[in-house]
Amino acid sequence: MRDFQLDHQAYGTVELVQFSGSLDMDSFPRLETQLNAFFQQGRYAILIDCSDLDYIGSAGMGALIGFAKLAREKGGDLKLINVPESTLKTIKSLGFTKVLQVHNDKGTALASFHAD
Amino acid sequence: MAETNTGISVGRTNGDVHVRVAGRGTFQNGQPLRRYALDMINQGVRQFVVDLGPCEGMDSTFLGVLAGIGLQLREPATRGHLCLANVSPRNLESLQTLGLDRLFKLAPATGAAPAVIPWQWLPDPTSSQFRASDTKKDAANVMLEAHDNLIRADNRNQTKFKDLTTILRARTDKDADKKTS
Repeated sequence: MRDFQLDHQAYGTVELVQFSGSLDMDSFPRLETQLNAFFQQGRYAILIDCSDLDYIGSAGMGALIGFAKLAREKGGDLKLINVPESTLKTIKSLGFTKVLQVHNDKGTALASFHAD
Repeated sequence: MAETNTGISVGRTNGDVHVRVAGRGTFQNGQPLRRYALDMINQGVRQFVVDLGPCEGMDSTFLGVLAGIGLQLREPATRGHLCLANVSPRNLESLQTLGLDRLFKLAPATGAAPAVIPWQWLPDPTSSQFRASDTKKDAANVMLEAHDNLIRADNRNQTKFKDLTTILRARTDKDADKKTS
């Protein structure tokens, strides 16, 4: 099982966050810390690249939903790209796509922050 | 049974139910465990032993399923116990984070469970034998119930899971409305 790793890069007003490994109960506090740091800096446009994500647990999904709602309240959003098929099925079946926008590629996703 | 396999296996000895979690305990394999445990409780089983020795980790839904079984066994009409065995430091931390270490008995590490247990695998909801639509509805319901259990077990979990339970409740209410209309 790979350890959770997190990296980020700014694309204008959007923070692109890259996950790798497993986002579970042990690792999601690290994500929370990073997202709270962005919010404290007034950066509420967050794009999360899940292409290297092995696993996401329900607590991880819950955390993403919470941050997406908070970001929207502040005029931003939290969106996902490159979501693995199995995770995407789960997100859709649980009705989470109402809160979490999912895009197929980085360009479209980045542009969507400015179109909203 | 090969130790390399992952999933939930169960067996009965002397009226007790033994559960072994190999690999991850997830919101997917929590569904059949919940069903099996409720069935066993209805049949009069009062002692559950869950072996977490081969368990790599548990998500909050799986922990909520265990909490639901533990809470049901604590009911005055039931008066049973759920005991967790071979809890790794990582899994203990997950239990403590959600305040569940006070709900279950924690047995000291005993190594492998007795070989005489006639283990059988619980079905895997991700396999083709499950109808996709049933699994989807079940997943939302079980996930909601599991997180409600976590909140019942420790009120501090309310803040942690407020957003998740709100969206799941909206989803399950919508499904219920569809059924009645």
